[in-house]
Amino acid sequence: MKHSRLPLLTTLLVLIFFYLPIVVLVVNSFNASRFGGTWEGFSLKWYAQLWSQDEIWQSLRNTLFIAFGATAVATVFGTTAAFALHRFSSRLQRFHYTLIYTPLVVPEILMGMSLLLLFVALGAQLGLFTIFLAHVTFCISYVAMVVLARLQDFDFSIVEAAQDLGAGWWTAAWRVLLPLLAPGIAAGALLAFTLSIDDFVISFFVAGPGSTTLPIRIYSMIKHGSPPLINALSTLLLLVTFVLVWLSQRLTEEKNQT
Amino acid sequence: MKIQRFIGAGACWLSSLLLPGVAEAASKPTLHVYTWADYIKPEIVKRFEKENQCRVVIDTFDSNESMYAKLKAGATGYDIITPSSYMAKMLFDQGMLLPLDHSQVPNIEHIDPEYLKIAIDPDMHHSVPYMLTNTGIAYLKKRVKKPEASWALFDRPELKGRTTMLNDMRETIGAALKFLGFSLNTTDEKQLEAARDVLIRWKHNMAKFENEQYKTGLASGEFLLVQGYSGDILKAQEENKDIEFVLPKEGYSVACDDLVIPKDAREVTLAHKFINLVHDPKTAAENTEFISYLCPNKASYVLLGKEIRNNPTLFPPAEVRAKSEVIHDLGADNQKYIKVWDQVKAAE
Repeated sequence: MKHSRLPLLTTLLVLIFFYLPIVVLVVNSFNASRFGGTWEGFSLKWYAQLWSQDEIWQSLRNTLFIAFGATAVATVFGTTAAFALHRFSSRLQRFHYTLIYTPLVVPEILMGMSLLLLFVALGAQLGLFTIFLAHVTFCISYVAMVVLARLQDFDFSIVEAAQDLGAGWWTAAWRVLLPLLAPGIAAGALLAFTLSIDDFVISFFVAGPGSTTLPIRIYSMIKHGSPPLINALSTLLLLVTFVLVWLSQRLTEEKNQT
Repeated sequence: MKIQRFIGAGACWLSSLLLPGVAEAASKPTLHVYTWADYIKPEIVKRFEKENQCRVVIDTFDSNESMYAKLKAGATGYDIITPSSYMAKMLFDQGMLLPLDHSQVPNIEHIDPEYLKIAIDPDMHHSVPYMLTNTGIAYLKKRVKKPEASWALFDRPELKGRTTMLNDMRETIGAALKFLGFSLNTTDEKQLEAARDVLIRWKHNMAKFENEQYKTGLASGEFLLVQGYSGDILKAQEENKDIEFVLPKEGYSVACDDLVIPKDAREVTLAHKFINLVHDPKTAAENTEFISYLCPNKASYVLLGKEIRNNPTLFPPAEVRAKSEVIHDLGADNQKYIKVWDQVKAAE
């Protein structure tokens, strides 16, 4: 029987659609040409220049710092919020749901501006910490939504069973509920991490002196600096991501085999 | 999957996030500079740090308007900012800048008096010019026959569909005004209407209005004739040796970014020292060569490399230079330009 070629073709097209821009970017990072319009020969000069750009590395450090911190805090708060939303249904919780949901639909620029006004009114020193707070604010909503979805088809009789077998509420939550929810929590955390790492609008407004993050720096470089450096930096970031993905896949595979 | 372990790691991260904030407070004085990306040679910054026993932290913005929105909302902590001239004036008018103490910046005596004549703040009361860029015409030598240094090139029928002009109301209407022999800061509606008709004629010849991609397009031969900024074109010339950049004989616009000190700056003395160092003739020459804009420091001109020194687009002949102008903020009269611009954009 002859199989249809259509699924294969569609998959290929989708893959090309996804990855062609990235391939172009990677190729251009080795292009000696400044504008990437034409191929002027293989060159590592952008990588060499990138190496000596302390400001870029500083902003990368800022970005990672905030992303890890905001993800950790937002994951904890988001998960507990989702749990409360799922467990209790009162008028207060409906209000809570609206509060959690709003940051998802509020335009970013409005959120950035209002947070800036708040920080200024409070007399807070703008800097890494204010960016961190702002990122936690919008990340919580995303984490809560993802975990809530996971909770909706969660069988609570398992927790009850654990309690029947003598586990206290805390033990049941810590050793039964949490591990079962882990995939949802991890997905929420990853989402929060990516959102935090590439957020520009909100970060721009609440950033203070000395806390330029990578997206802010890249925007300024596109307008006014050298785009090839950005290609080189993105390629390095991609490489790191791929290595991480590969490592995590290997780790989970090993676990499954034993 | 041990999620419990992840939670522990998260808690560690959080505490490490809070700690450095405490450690930072007790270090050397820090000068905070808010500017465009890659807008100063890093070695100059290092030298300044060493000479003054301080740290320099550079933050970047991507447009005058977003920087303004941020400051206006109350963001503080910056000691030096480099807005474009019109934005510097706007900041000053709103009481957001400190007047300069000229006794602390002796080097500003080197600033080119020719430029100061057309500057918005000619007495350098609150701003010192930092970097200039001229808006002119660039074309491919091999493809444009019998070129001339004139805005009239945009009328050439053989270039149909292969030209671009800036997508910038004031620059582009300004070019048409200059072509007609008017000031690019005119508020005379008759003159503006005449400029509108010229622009619509040029538009029929044009591929599009374009602010960013024209460099790439010109370097790759997609466009044959563009209106562009000298800083951008100089970089495109490194790519494609066939690109020629000229300043039209009818006149052109000069844009300048200024050094200003915001009202709430903490390191006012350091900020003055920084401005002084930037305008030290040797440093200024170094900086000009690094970022390929022109620092209008007259004493630095003789120290520049031959190639830059003899570049007629940075140092145009006096009679062309006399026709250059800086774009001023026109306040309420801006509306007239917006009206003309809308008509040009809507014209078929």
